[in-house]
Amino acid sequence: MNEEKEVEEQSKPLVLEKLEEHHADALLAQDEMRGTAVVVVRKEQAYTVLEYLKTDAELAYTFLVDVTAVDNSQMESELMQFDYARFMVVYQLYSYQGQCRLRVKVPVHESDLSIPSVTALWKGANWLEREAYDMFGINFEGHPDLRRILMPDDFEGHPLRKDYPLRGRGERERFNFDKQNV
Amino acid sequence: MGLDFVGRGVGETDGNIITTSIEKVVNWGRKNSLWPMPFGTACCAIEMMATLASKYDLSRFGSEAIRFSPRQSDLLIVSGRISIKMMPVLKRIYDQMPDPKWVISMGACASCGGVFDTYTLIQGVDQFIPVDVYIPGCPPRPEDLIDAVMQVQQKITSGASPKGVEAVV
Ligand code: SF4
Repeated sequence: MNEEKEVEEQSKPLVLEKLEEHHADALLAQDEMRGTAVVVVRKEQAYTVLEYLKTDAELAYTFLVDVTAVDNSQMESELMQFDYARFMVVYQLYSYQGQCRLRVKVPVHESDLSIPSVTALWKGANWLEREAYDMFGINFEGHPDLRRILMPDDFEGHPLRKDYPLRGRGERERFNFDKQNV
Repeated sequence: MGLDFVGRGVGETDGNIITTSIEKVVNWGRKNSLWPMPFGTACCAIEMMATLASKYDLSRFGSEAIRFSPRQSDLLIVSGRISIKMMPVLKRIYDQMPDPKWVISMGACASCGGVFDTYTLIQGVDQFIPVDVYIPGCPPRPEDLIDAVMQVQQKITSGASPKGVEAVV
């Protein structure tokens, strides 16, 4: 009996087991990609799950490696899976204790682009969320300073969205070089 | 001494007198002590660093005194992509450099945007600042940068004014 359980534990990452146990209702999907566990989490519970992943003594995903987003608007196969949510906000986590990585994905619909900010959990999320806001227009609620970080302040649009033209909408030509504070 | 520009050869004056013009002497000094202001914003800057480091050793051409203050330099090396947000910074740095000043546009990106014909990239810094020497390549090899520095030196020797001066006049 004991032996069997050990074999099972090896094949399934601890984090997936624990999430199934404590946050089963938040999980939309789970997967493993090249040795990294991937979970898709409902937006409503995303903050709770991320907080759990960070604070749980056994998991201790204390390092937020990256926050970014993916625009799936031209990926029919991806869209279908998660109720046609256009964006996927992606959190990359690392646990020094467990020496393992975890990817948390949260589907976000275009009709409601807000998602709770995780700056209260990881201070480093500040600039990462600003970048995702700048590039995709994701609205991180509760962020202390949600401004553009890469594009100029007066820039319009979110350039990493798939419907944004590669050469822009004339920003390059119209850019007011004299108005900038340098 | 390599003072090949003097009006009269050394032999003609028994080695005691050389005659020349003040411009030529000044230019000779300028040419052999170009102080570069590196403006490295992307991968080209790595090649620029290699050029400055011991293997390619730009100091052989008198240009080892890299200055990160534009007010102390007279050669601007633009190496890398310049975005619309960065361009005012570059322009300001160029404006802060004292005359006479020279500009090298290093690599495809600085010269014409390279492969990055995108929403945010300046398609050639010469739209905003006068460029004296362009270096093609992505990235150009250190030899190419050395060649560009030598071309600037040749321009100085020939008494040509920098592009920037022409633009002002
Ligand atoms: S020209 Fe090539 S090497 Fe140079 S900055 Fe552009 S992409 Fe990088």
